[in-house]
Amino acid sequence: MASHYEAPIREPLVTGDKTYHDVTVDVAAPVEGRANKQWWIVFSIALVAFLWGLGCIIYTVSTGIGVWGLNKTVGWAWDITNFVWWVGIGHAGTLISAVLLLFRQKWRMAINRSAEAMTIFSVVQAGLFPIIHMGRPWLAYWVLPIPNQFGSLWVNFNSPLLWDVFAISTYLSVSLVFWWTGLLPDFAMLRDRAVKPFQKKIYSLLSFGWSGRAKDWQRFEEVSLVLAGLATPLVLSVHTIVSFDFATSVIPGWHSTIFPPYFVAGAIFSGFAMVLTLLIIMRKVSNLENYITIVHIENMNKVILLTGGVVSVAYITEFFIGWYSGTNYEDYTYMSIGAATGPYWWAFWALIICNFIVPQTLWVKKLRTNYMWSFIVSIVINIGMWFERFDIIVIDLSKGHLPSSWTMFSPTFIDIGVFIGTIGFFFVLFLLYARTFPVIAQAEVKTILKSSGEKYKKLRDGNHE
Amino acid sequence: MASNKKYWVSVEELKPENSSKVETLKQNEFVNEIPVDQFLGEQSQEDSSATSRRDFLKFVGFSTAAASLAACEGPVKKAIPYVVQPEEIRPGVANYYASTIADGYDFASVLVKTREGRPIFVKNHDKAEVNSSANARVVASVLSMYDTKRVQGPKKDGKDVSWSDLNADVKAKIQQAKAQGKDVVFLTQTFASPSTAKLVSEYSAAVGGVKHVIYDAVSEDAALNAFEAKYGTRAMADYDLSKAEVIVSFDADFIADWQGGGFEGSYAKGRVPSNGKMSRHVQFESNMSLTGANADKRVALTPSQVKIAIAKFYGAMTGVSIGGSLPEAAEEAVKAAAKQVKKAGSKAVVLTGLQDDNAQALALAINESLSSEAFDPSSPLYTRKGNFSSVQSLIKDMNSGKVGVLVMVGVNPLYTLAEAKSFEQGLSKVGTSVVFSMKEDETALKSTYVAAMPHYLESWGDVEIKKGHYSLMQPTIRPLFDTMQFQDALLNWMGNDTSYYEYVKENWTTSILNGSSWNQALHDGVYKNTSAGVTASNEGVVSEGAMNVESAPVVLASGAGDYAVRLAKSSVEGVELMLYTKTGMGDGQQANNPWLQEFPDPITRNTWDNYLTVSKADADAWGFENTLADNGGLDGSYAKITVNGVSATVPVLIQPGQAKGSVGLALGYGKKEGVQEEMQVGVNAYPFYFEGNNVQPVKIEKVSGTHEFASVQMQNTLDGRGDILRETTLEVFNTENAHHWNPQPEVSMMHQEVEADEANLWQEFDTTVGHHFNLSIDLSSCTGCGACVIACHAENNVPVVGKSEIRKFRDMHWLRIDRYYSSEESFEADVEKVEAAPGAISTYHELEDPSANPQVAFQPVMCQHCNHAPCETVCPVAATSHGRQGQNQMIYNRCVGTRYCANNCPYKVRRFNWFLYAENDEFDFHMNNDLGRMVLNPDVVVRSRGVMEKCSMCMQMTQKTILDAKREGRTIEDGEFQTACSAACSTGAMVFGDVNNKESEISKLKEDDRMYHLLGFKGTRPNVIYQVKVRNTEEA
Repeated sequence: MASHYEAPIREPLVTGDKTYHDVTVDVAAPVEGRANKQWWIVFSIALVAFLWGLGCIIYTVSTGIGVWGLNKTVGWAWDITNFVWWVGIGHAGTLISAVLLLFRQKWRMAINRSAEAMTIFSVVQAGLFPIIHMGRPWLAYWVLPIPNQFGSLWVNFNSPLLWDVFAISTYLSVSLVFWWTGLLPDFAMLRDRAVKPFQKKIYSLLSFGWSGRAKDWQRFEEVSLVLAGLATPLVLSVHTIVSFDFATSVIPGWHSTIFPPYFVAGAIFSGFAMVLTLLIIMRKVSNLENYITIVHIENMNKVILLTGGVVSVAYITEFFIGWYSGTNYEDYTYMSIGAATGPYWWAFWALIICNFIVPQTLWVKKLRTNYMWSFIVSIVINIGMWFERFDIIVIDLSKGHLPSSWTMFSPTFIDIGVFIGTIGFFFVLFLLYARTFPVIAQAEVKTILKSSGEKYKKLRDGNHE
Repeated sequence: MASNKKYWVSVEELKPENSSKVETLKQNEFVNEIPVDQFLGEQSQEDSSATSRRDFLKFVGFSTAAASLAACEGPVKKAIPYVVQPEEIRPGVANYYASTIADGYDFASVLVKTREGRPIFVKNHDKAEVNSSANARVVASVLSMYDTKRVQGPKKDGKDVSWSDLNADVKAKIQQAKAQGKDVVFLTQTFASPSTAKLVSEYSAAVGGVKHVIYDAVSEDAALNAFEAKYGTRAMADYDLSKAEVIVSFDADFIADWQGGGFEGSYAKGRVPSNGKMSRHVQFESNMSLTGANADKRVALTPSQVKIAIAKFYGAMTGVSIGGSLPEAAEEAVKAAAKQVKKAGSKAVVLTGLQDDNAQALALAINESLSSEAFDPSSPLYTRKGNFSSVQSLIKDMNSGKVGVLVMVGVNPLYTLAEAKSFEQGLSKVGTSVVFSMKEDETALKSTYVAAMPHYLESWGDVEIKKGHYSLMQPTIRPLFDTMQFQDALLNWMGNDTSYYEYVKENWTTSILNGSSWNQALHDGVYKNTSAGVTASNEGVVSEGAMNVESAPVVLASGAGDYAVRLAKSSVEGVELMLYTKTGMGDGQQANNPWLQEFPDPITRNTWDNYLTVSKADADAWGFENTLADNGGLDGSYAKITVNGVSATVPVLIQPGQAKGSVGLALGYGKKEGVQEEMQVGVNAYPFYFEGNNVQPVKIEKVSGTHEFASVQMQNTLDGRGDILRETTLEVFNTENAHHWNPQPEVSMMHQEVEADEANLWQEFDTTVGHHFNLSIDLSSCTGCGACVIACHAENNVPVVGKSEIRKFRDMHWLRIDRYYSSEESFEADVEKVEAAPGAISTYHELEDPSANPQVAFQPVMCQHCNHAPCETVCPVAATSHGRQGQNQMIYNRCVGTRYCANNCPYKVRRFNWFLYAENDEFDFHMNNDLGRMVLNPDVVVRSRGVMEKCSMCMQMTQKTILDAKREGRTIEDGEFQTACSAACSTGAMVFGDVNNKESEISKLKEDDRMYHLLGFKGTRPNVIYQVKVRNTEEA
């Protein structure tokens, strides 16, 4: 695959006259070097946040869900908002590594490792919420169809929550396997370079005895392709099923047939935003400016523009259909005049501004090729997508069919603590990953070095002249 | 249907060729021989034993483990079996006893359900003719018995004494007082008890005269005075409202506690249209009362305007011109009402709750002149007897040192008297004071002796609620504490050895029963004898020769016209405060009852509070506001109110329908003594209750601060969703097709419009086999009284969560009564407004605010037991599923608490156990102490934290009915199936039954034209059905 011809007018994907050895050295550098002060500061903050969240979770489990701000009408709020948000973030990884692989998009190679790591870490956060949001989390295993001694008890296959269990666990396991497969040659590279026996031992275990023979490479390519084929439908299915939690219900605002495609688009939208956030920082901190270039950023911004467009169309559709239905039970759904002017107007407008208006700036080339602006937009989208889920869950639940039961929701510090805790946990994992894993799929990058590396491109183009 | 089922273990058993084998096996319980010999036999056999070394080690291991496990201390649960089992008590089988509550405020014939000797439920006594309806407070009264704050034995100056000492002391003190020429005074509640009246009179004769002053905390003096002046007895006229076609009420809250209450049953009978007719109810009032909320037409007027209105009403009827001015609309309404009353003639009745002798006398005169069929002055009610002027003269006597001994029974004047200060001063000058009380309340703390009084469920007694209608009170449990009832003490003081039980029995046998059986009367709880020798009518009138309290004769003019002229002179100056009693709290004697504190007021839907109800216009003018906090909780400003120099700071609640220029405040709150800290809520309004008059001129100022209310409903209007609570007018109901006023929802299936119930995605169960339960709720006859809410609480062990949790909308009530106000002048206008401008932004927000004088509607909502339940499909662990009898069942053990079911419930009836509510110090209510837990229903599990719960359609009750009938080998008759709520409903609005019994009432209701399903268009096919509310809007 390395021998593809690439037009000279294409921007190089690897800049800065990198040789094969340079790539190796650059990727191994964060692992082999020592952590700097900044890393320790950020890691400490993340760890504290994580521990605080852990404390909040322990308090919740030992005291009762009542420590959250929920009530008889709003039975879910931050818990499921966070769940859907984290699952959504997890979508970009698989899309980048599987779908873009199938479409032979070479630019994915610089970012797929971290995107997938992000996927796995965020799915871990997501998986936490369905468990701790239960009234009796110690019985969480009851949602698994395990043969049991309780008699004829079995799970309810009609329930979208059960579908979630399967969807999320499948997604997590396939993503993990896919990620690890890609890691094997890179771990082997680290193993081969390692000087300390302990490090060598660890990386040789992690690399599953990779030998670098042609047969290894052939199997590696085949498995990658097969896994990409398996993972591609998951990109669509996971968030489709998450959206079923709402779409199959009878609640105004939830019961909506466009939810599956709309949720998938929204998930990719938010996932790419999170990848942008992480990588714009990472390329600086880990000195990867030559690998993660403005080309990558722009490409991701284009995906954001597309999926953001899909999401925006969905908002308009929801708003219009709710109004057009002529039933006043739809008057207060999250996309309605009632929401825009009601007590949750701030949440409604946060969603519209963050997801609908701000991403439109990316139509301007100057802005979408600007690192700083891309970073700001990515943060804004992350916030907006959190509000989207909050709006769908809380606004829709708070004003349901019977006005007598209308209530509102306000979070307690435990609600907030648990959410911040998962963010902490996510960054603890990601920071550890950045120091111990090869953060760029160097083996793959090397395959395109000759076609898309600046140095070789120049050499080649020079010959033509 | 005796069972002849044969149980078998395997198919092999049924084969004839195996019969001998089967027989051998049956005889041999242990198929494999137990090798006992090998262990216990001779040592020499050990070598040949089949027990190997490994087996030996297994045995040793097992024994060690078993022994060490057995050594661990298991939880010790005290369950003490009967040594001698009482004949009538069978574990697991409930016993019912007929009894009567007569606590001075609530009077009703009730049935008491006991389990294993514990009363756990109080319900309507269907066989009783009068006051058979237990209101919310009566249903809740069972919990007041298991109250940790009860005084548990007699006390002197705060120290425990024995009853013999107390009785001897009091006896001596009384003799001493008599010897010194001082008065002995009994200050008691209204007993309405013929035996007590006789006993007091005998006692008075024995000791040479006592004064008997009767004091009702919430006074009905005006009605009593007017009746006494006209008919000679201190009593109140009775009304049978089912006979009235036109009811005009001037501030009479007759669905609640007006003149002793108990009228809602007969009222509701006339509210269901039958043969094209229903009663017409017009209400003139200041506070938004339960009665006003049910009226066909409600006119909001200040108390003095209501007085003018009744005068003008009289004028309009008689053609006499009466002075005074009213707003034009009210004037018109008065004229229209008068015209209607005149037209209806004897089918009309006029009621008034104005605490004004003239108004009461005028109402009596009008009813008499109409010869109203609903009006019954000949057999009056004895449930209120108090005389405020005699209380005042008692206070005077006390202060002048004339009173030697004061015995108080069932009263708490230091809390309920506006003149509490002078009463307290007087009390200190009284030589000896004895108070018979269940609580160490304000009065008990200042008295010499506290005589611990038993609860009515531990007492004997008799009551004559209405002339000639006698009922008995019998204990249903041995007294929990060292208590003695007043009557027993009185017998003791007389040196009479008989118990009060024997005294009542003797009295009944000789004077009341007319030869019929005492046992039968006790069994029935009620007995009717209109010519009995003893009566409660002379209660408070002590035997001849004794000193009676002279009450000033009421000066009334001779003619009705004069009353009217006097009323018309009522001046309107400044703001008027109208004190009222809330459905949940009444006069406040059950303030320590957590069920009642947590009971949402039917009108305001507020809990754990009282508040100043202010009209929107006044609130705007005075700068008061109600706002919603971030979590939707209701916040209110504070007002400082001053009446006659007494002031208090109270939270303000803006009340739609409150007459401008008037404010309301509920009595019965703010009690501090004998009340647990959590329940010392609200503000005591009795200090404003000067001279027992519920209307007082008031000064109102705004003060700083925000009050946090605990309301269960924040949205008060229907937002134009008229479909939820359907109603129509009598005219439309009579003339139009049902499709017009009660359209059944239709959906498109296969491109055809079909009724929503016919569209189906599921394979249907056959619901025609066995029982299939439905519950019908008639919105026409539901008055919103809330007795069902408390009954559900009691039957189903529903937890109490406290004020702060209620504020977070975490009430646990399985059954709630939604109350909606119209946003325009009527609900119909709301819907028209939506249709005129659907989706307009202005429509939205305008419909969210209730009108100044709105129409009101009540809708009880509990689990609708949908045949296509949205909750059932979404539970991942199938913890909620459908029963073959129609119930949607909740399996608590299986629930993991995802709350998805509650989210997906369109009716929002599911309740989650956010915390552990039983045996948790954070929720220190009745479920946190052994005494309070005695009220729990053993048939219903107490839920743990983290599980969902909801209405089960009282499955434990239906199942019991089925099993009883099966054991007795009979079919079940209509009416046998009941739920706690349907049994508690005294208006007949709730009917429960088996729709597979085609003869049953519920089957007919299901086919009724008025039937509809709540949110029927959702296709949930509920098993709870509603009947369209019909309003009689016919003007004269």
